[in-house]
Amino acid sequence: MEAGVNTAVWTAELAEPEDTTALGRRLGALLGRGDLVLLSGPLGAGKTVLVKGIAEGLGVRGRVSSPTFVISRVHPGERATLVHVDAYRLGGDALELDDLDLDTDLEDAVVVIEWGEGFAERLAEDHLLVRIDRRPDDVREVSLTGLPHILKAL
Amino acid sequence: MIVLGIETSCDETGVGIVRRHADGTLELLADEVASSVEEHARFGGVVPEIASRAHLQAMAPTMRRALDTAGLELSTVDAIAVTAGPGLAGALMVGVAAAKAYSTASGKPLYGVNHLAGHVAADTIEHGPLPPRCLALLVSGGHSQLLLVEGLTEKITEIGATIDDAAGEAYDKVARILGLPYPGGPPIDKLAKQGNPRAIAFPRGLTGQRDAPFDFSFSGLKTAVARWVEKHEATGAEIPLADVAASFQEAVADVLTAKAIRAAREHEVDTMVISGGVAANSRLGELARERCAEAGITLRVPRPRLCTDNGAMIAALGAHVVASGAKPSPATLAADTSLPLVYGS
Repeated sequence: MEAGVNTAVWTAELAEPEDTTALGRRLGALLGRGDLVLLSGPLGAGKTVLVKGIAEGLGVRGRVSSPTFVISRVHPGERATLVHVDAYRLGGDALELDDLDLDTDLEDAVVVIEWGEGFAERLAEDHLLVRIDRRPDDVREVSLTGLPHILKAL
Repeated sequence: MIVLGIETSCDETGVGIVRRHADGTLELLADEVASSVEEHARFGGVVPEIASRAHLQAMAPTMRRALDTAGLELSTVDAIAVTAGPGLAGALMVGVAAAKAYSTASGKPLYGVNHLAGHVAADTIEHGPLPPRCLALLVSGGHSQLLLVEGLTEKITEIGATIDDAAGEAYDKVARILGLPYPGGPPIDKLAKQGNPRAIAFPRGLTGQRDAPFDFSFSGLKTAVARWVEKHEATGAEIPLADVAASFQEAVADVLTAKAIRAAREHEVDTMVISGGVAANSRLGELARERCAEAGITLRVPRPRLCTDNGAMIAALGAHVVASGAKPSPATLAADTSLPLVYGS
């Protein structure tokens, strides 16, 4: 993994799915209660793979798999609960996180939203945006913005 | 014994009624379903709150139609069963609340049952009681699982599941890549009939020697299709949509049936049930029939109407639960997105 950093953007190239999991694991170790993470990238970019890593880093319970159909999954943990949301099937511009009917106190959770870019920003003033792009040679280019204390620690 | 079943775990509001005879066979008296899919299309996608509201609006009329079709009143059924999980939390809550209200109003006992076990029970409506041991392959938009069923009300063990996308989800996402409508299953199935299933060698997920033998992975397949299409677009060539659809479908059906047959052999069962929305896929059915016949396994697939979400399968499971002598659920029954497969366990 080759990483670069300036004050506002953290970027890296991820050659293998394991690199994506490893980045997720490092992020998971740094994230805490109340943090919001938005993931963007095309189908097959590795968004769910990254969340698997985040779950490992956070040390939460339950198998992480695509929540596209069920919209959201809640993974309880000691340090924080992980709420894994997939906005792929969601519609409506006026969507609020309350509309997801999540039976969890979001202030105590790390909320990660796949396909959340564009509507989920208003959910929290500060959030970490993770953009993953799949290059033709299958290497993933990832860029992270927001939550400076996380970017600095990565 | 007559049992009424209520299902609201996702997009469909279902109310079904079955009569269970002393020999364990079931008679379908009503199977009414209202779908909120059109509602969601208006909003450009699913909004869980709208799904819950749609269930709320459809509940009473669907219940009325089911009772009318069966020529019954609520006072003449013996028990009420409801899907208590897994599913969308808000959607489940509507069904559970309605079932509690109907149960309280009529004084009939209430049973909160598992949606996935319900999919297996659907087959008993059409083909009678299950043998003591059998394997169930559940494939839908939200689930891809291999279950070892040793009594629907006694012991159901998950021996494999998808580690990423469900099979039906892969269909929906590949349909989007190919510019086909949602849900993706039917249009891909149709297009695949004109294509060559061997045109493109798409990967078979988790089929390596060291991989979990009964787990599924369809995320890599989805990515492989996206990559293949992108590469072809870059050369300016026309995308052979039918070949892509056929090759993708072949990869899905191949992995599902190969793993199911291997599981049946390893667990020494001679009957396999395939249920869930993807069970209606023509290539999956064809390949399953072929491979089960070769392996000497009896294949049972409910008719498509019973494979997708419905209230009849919940009534069927409820009837078996009642017949097993299980106690009704308490009045505190709540929706539980991680409800155990076997009632009362």
